[in-house]
Amino acid sequence: MSLLVVVATAAAQATAVDYGAQIKPLLKARCYACHGSLKQEGGLRLDTAALLIAGGDSGSAVSLEHVNDSLILERVAATDPDQRMPPPHEGEPLTAEQIGRLRGWIAAGAPAPADESPEADPSAHWSFQPIVRPPVPRLDSGSANHPIDAFIAQQHRLRGLQPQPSAPRLALLRRLAIDLTGLPPSLEELEAFRDDDRGDWYRRAVEQWLADPRHGERWGRHWMDVWRYSDWWGLGEQLRFSQKHIWHWRDWIIESLNDDTPYDEMIRLMLAADELHPVDPDKLAATGYLARNFTLFNRPQWMDETVEHVSKGLLGLTMNCARCHDHKYDPIEQTDYYRMRAFFEPYHVRLDVLPDQADLNVDGLPRVFDALPDEPTYLYHRGDETQPDRSTVIAPGVPRLAAFPPLSISAVELPVAAWQPARQPWVLETHIAAAEARLAAAKDKSLAAAELAAVRARAAAMRVSWSDEPTAAVGAARGAAIAAERDVAVARAGQAVAQAEQALAEADDQGRPAAAQRLQDAQTALAEAQRQAAAEIQPSDTYQPLIGARWTPTRFGFSGQDDPELKFPPTSTGRRSALARWITDPRHPLTARVAVNHIWMRHMGAPLVPTVFDFGRNGKPPALPELLDWLAAEFIESGWSMKHLHRLIVTSEAYRRGSSLRGAEQNLALDPDNLYWWRRTPGRMESQVIRDSLIALAGRLDNQFGGPPVPPDGQSDSLRRSLYFFHSNNDRNQFLTVFDEALVTECYRREQSVVPQQALALANSGLAHDAAADVARRLATDDDAGLIRRAWMLVLGIDPNPQELAASQQALDHWRASGRPAQAPAHLVWALFNHNDFVTIR
Amino acid sequence: MSSRRRFLSNSALGLSGIALGAMLHRDGVARDGAWSPPNGRPHFAPQANSVIWLFMNGGVSQMESFDPKPMLCKYAGKTISETPFADVQDPEKLAIERLVVPDGNGNQRNELFPLQVGFRKRGESGIEVSDWFPHVGANVDKLAIVRSLWTTDSNHGAQTQFHTGRHQNDGDFPTLGGWVHFGLGSLNDNLPSFVSIGRREYWNRRDGAYLGPAHDAVPLRIDPQNPLDYSQPQREFTAAEQQIGKTLIDRLNAIREDAYPQDAAMQARIASYELAFRMQHSIPDVVDFSDETAETQSLYGIDQPHCRDFGLQLLAARRMVERGVRFVQIQHGGGGAGAWDAHGGLKRNHTQNALAVDQPIGGLLTDLDRRGLLDQTLVVFATEFGRTPGSQGSDGRDHHIFGFSVWLAGGGLKRGVVHGATDEIGFHAVEHRHYVTDIHATLLHQLGLDSRRLEIPGRKRLDIDHGEPIHEIIA
Repeated sequence: MSLLVVVATAAAQATAVDYGAQIKPLLKARCYACHGSLKQEGGLRLDTAALLIAGGDSGSAVSLEHVNDSLILERVAATDPDQRMPPPHEGEPLTAEQIGRLRGWIAAGAPAPADESPEADPSAHWSFQPIVRPPVPRLDSGSANHPIDAFIAQQHRLRGLQPQPSAPRLALLRRLAIDLTGLPPSLEELEAFRDDDRGDWYRRAVEQWLADPRHGERWGRHWMDVWRYSDWWGLGEQLRFSQKHIWHWRDWIIESLNDDTPYDEMIRLMLAADELHPVDPDKLAATGYLARNFTLFNRPQWMDETVEHVSKGLLGLTMNCARCHDHKYDPIEQTDYYRMRAFFEPYHVRLDVLPDQADLNVDGLPRVFDALPDEPTYLYHRGDETQPDRSTVIAPGVPRLAAFPPLSISAVELPVAAWQPARQPWVLETHIAAAEARLAAAKDKSLAAAELAAVRARAAAMRVSWSDEPTAAVGAARGAAIAAERDVAVARAGQAVAQAEQALAEADDQGRPAAAQRLQDAQTALAEAQRQAAAEIQPSDTYQPLIGARWTPTRFGFSGQDDPELKFPPTSTGRRSALARWITDPRHPLTARVAVNHIWMRHMGAPLVPTVFDFGRNGKPPALPELLDWLAAEFIESGWSMKHLHRLIVTSEAYRRGSSLRGAEQNLALDPDNLYWWRRTPGRMESQVIRDSLIALAGRLDNQFGGPPVPPDGQSDSLRRSLYFFHSNNDRNQFLTVFDEALVTECYRREQSVVPQQALALANSGLAHDAAADVARRLATDDDAGLIRRAWMLVLGIDPNPQELAASQQALDHWRASGRPAQAPAHLVWALFNHNDFVTIR
Repeated sequence: MSSRRRFLSNSALGLSGIALGAMLHRDGVARDGAWSPPNGRPHFAPQANSVIWLFMNGGVSQMESFDPKPMLCKYAGKTISETPFADVQDPEKLAIERLVVPDGNGNQRNELFPLQVGFRKRGESGIEVSDWFPHVGANVDKLAIVRSLWTTDSNHGAQTQFHTGRHQNDGDFPTLGGWVHFGLGSLNDNLPSFVSIGRREYWNRRDGAYLGPAHDAVPLRIDPQNPLDYSQPQREFTAAEQQIGKTLIDRLNAIREDAYPQDAAMQARIASYELAFRMQHSIPDVVDFSDETAETQSLYGIDQPHCRDFGLQLLAARRMVERGVRFVQIQHGGGGAGAWDAHGGLKRNHTQNALAVDQPIGGLLTDLDRRGLLDQTLVVFATEFGRTPGSQGSDGRDHHIFGFSVWLAGGGLKRGVVHGATDEIGFHAVEHRHYVTDIHATLLHQLGLDSRRLEIPGRKRLDIDHGEPIHEIIA
């Protein structure tokens, strides 16, 4: 043995093993994932030679005296799979050559550079640190009065950047109105603010558009992107994804934004309104956020999307990467993925009856509830859902990177109307009103009258059963309800007989025998119904209760049928409200940063953190971390007021800057990506803004707020805002799709493509032509110069220069000479719609 | 100055000469002769004018297409470590892997899975091609097959990687077609120079990336009944009226450039309008196949339901390159991970997919050649990675990055040759190993472009990502 060591040592010395080139890469490739900064299995780290020598729980990994006794060599050379490192599931064993190399290096005394530094501690990653409000830089001179501008100006001074001047007032007004309301300003607004010489004109414009109800529609659409709003889709009529009537959630988003409902409150309601406000439909609508993830056939997929997008959208974490094994970049263990899933494991979706609509096919409130409080969560071996590890039930929990408060989960006792939804105060009356309406509309009154009587009797029986009335009264009401239902059966059978008699009378010779048979069958059925109606009511007889909600059935069982019906339990697990408390805890390092970044990007044309859904170690850090943190702190301390944040951002100089590159050669050379906001980043209108603007400028926008979506076949004639269009994975509006419509599966940031199809849509669509004609009509005047100026201002937010005036005038003249002079103004407007600066936000 | 020239002179991101000079100085990247934006002409004499890029999404099995491995049958059912080829799993050889999306796939599969299809020698060259590709096989004497590709992303982000040459984690980079569009002027101003057909799930980003949106592919669907949305005015609008309007729009945008110089999006929009007005007529013409003979249509398999869609696309592709389109990028089986992603049921999967593409591709090669177009058109058949020699489940193969095949044809390349090799079980590329950008470099070379001269100062591609032309297959 000793001889071997000597030989090995000699060989090693002869070849002089180079740690940096031959050892470290090997350890990094095969060992660091479990013995590095991310994880320290057995207390051991191998990411520097010093740490390796220091060793772990079992002592030093090397023995410099007795080289072959080195623990690391024993483990990598072990033949017992339980002993061998890396373990079998992490890949093949090291080769003999690699082991020899390692041995040689140890024998040489494990030499390594003295200044070797370990892998950075993942928990020290910037976005996992608490949000501490940084001081606003005090600049010795200059006009950076606004905190945002102070942070930015500080960088400009450091880097020799000269910010571009403010945008022209008209351009700024157009930018602001579109930003805050999703629509360009009206001519009256433009003229009023343009001519306003009071110092606070801009602030008043901000306040006006922030208070405009269309603000909620504008920002609602933004958050619908992030939160993956989708109308239902499936195969034919079969609902497979999302929910019918999910628009209640969309309307809740819009109303909440208009009310400046705090962001943290919105998140809490979206995740757990059913636990926090169990009988308030206005708040329950928020849980459409989770109801949208409904997946008919596949629970793992449903849960997977929920975990993925709660963590990406609300936390900027890619927890989905940990489904199969520990996260490769972030301190998120595979178990953490399943802990996160466990918060959602119990929930299912149901439709609640809303006031004034008893038919859930027509309307109802999609909302979540904990249906399966005891459903276990299992870790899937390597993410394979066919290989759950049933030995351990995974409890809900949060990743350690932000485990600041002990998570406390306590079950929520629900009020009875939450789990017996017929007891919501409006439900029975709604059913009765529906039956009354059916009677009023019925041609044959007898059946409808019997049905109304039965609904009333059932309602009465239910009311009595919920009351303190004596048992006898309950029994009597029950008997009356059953009798009324039997009367309905008689009436229905009687109607069938009448129909059969009529059919027989109208039958020809050929059809008469069959019609006679059908009449006979109907008469038999009527006799049977009459017999049952006369029978004594037995204790086992029941009546059909009126429903207050219907579980949305799943088909996880692949039986070709709905899974067995789930009941509405009287308690909820409290898991989701605990998760919501954690996410919205002001101490959470990610929530406010991620939200602020989303809001900033939509105002400024680019985000502060480029990887908007990945704030982890594989994401890209912000160029201005202090600004991000200051905004996040301000956001939290304002009570998570989004309007406060909007106001703050749009009143900064940075927001108001021009987007031109004129005279910016030096800035371009120093900061080509505008990381330091020396100009406004121009952008293209989102698809909805383009369509809505055309209709609004035409003066035809239908201002109806909310309600069921405009179905695909009604969209081409619709004048409603585009966010009300039915939009799902399967149904997308043709015009909107050309301009990068939101993908419902994931849309954290809209694309801004430039393709010829967009030119064709604006040049050729009936929408654009009709809008042009309408705008021209609205601007009608005998004075060409006035027409041109007003058209430019309205459509583009530009006061045209002499060249532009002359070109426009010349085109008007040409059109007038080309055969249809009356159309010339409309054609001018059409041209302006196709001007670069119509779809561009300058 | 045409809009394109104006665009080029402003360069991709609207960097003026002064700004570029400053950047060159600062970054110290100036090479011999200052960098200048491309002028639309090749850097040296081109061998090809156009590219038809056929990309099979999901990962085609190399062993069952263009790189037969009889040893898989001999050792079927054995684990790799029990065979003489155990050393293929040397961790060092496997260390090129950079996984992006760990999802239970992209793992080592140890038990060798026998070939699921037969092979035969074809053509005068006698190159073996599997029986799933009889029509391509009939054209084997036109192909230069490269059997020694490798890549690094063992999940479908490798689709992005094959097109940009950069790993997905490195950020957004221009695709090859974007570079070609950047470098070469149009041969036909009535059509887009760079066209994309088919879905691109994993890299549905802008092709131009930092080159700007003007270098994005123009997505087209090939549907003779409905070739282009909004292709004609939906309200009365005479050609004369339209022309007056178009002239006005051009003038107004040009005037606006004074206030907003070097605006990449505006440049792209101006170019897109230019093109859009022409596409109103040119696109319906391209996909109007009524002047194609029945023989030609059936050559592409248009009369057969199993390959009609792809046949229409390839016939349109031929008509496009005939009209001077530079780069036609066709995705087969895009959506999800890709149609070829045969983790299970490989035999059924590849049979179906090959049925959909084989005859159209064979038809395209035949048709291009007989029209004399193959000499100036490069056809590429590629996929993001190969599939494991070992089985996944009972009858599938997993993703495999260490060795796989692509082929090229025409455009000044040798015909009927095989270049490079994998080991005996198709695991590692062992002879003439080529990273995916060697394909890029070969194409650029044949198109007469020097990729170093295309490169934007301050926006470096790494050396590995540049690739080297595969000189051995160049005629």
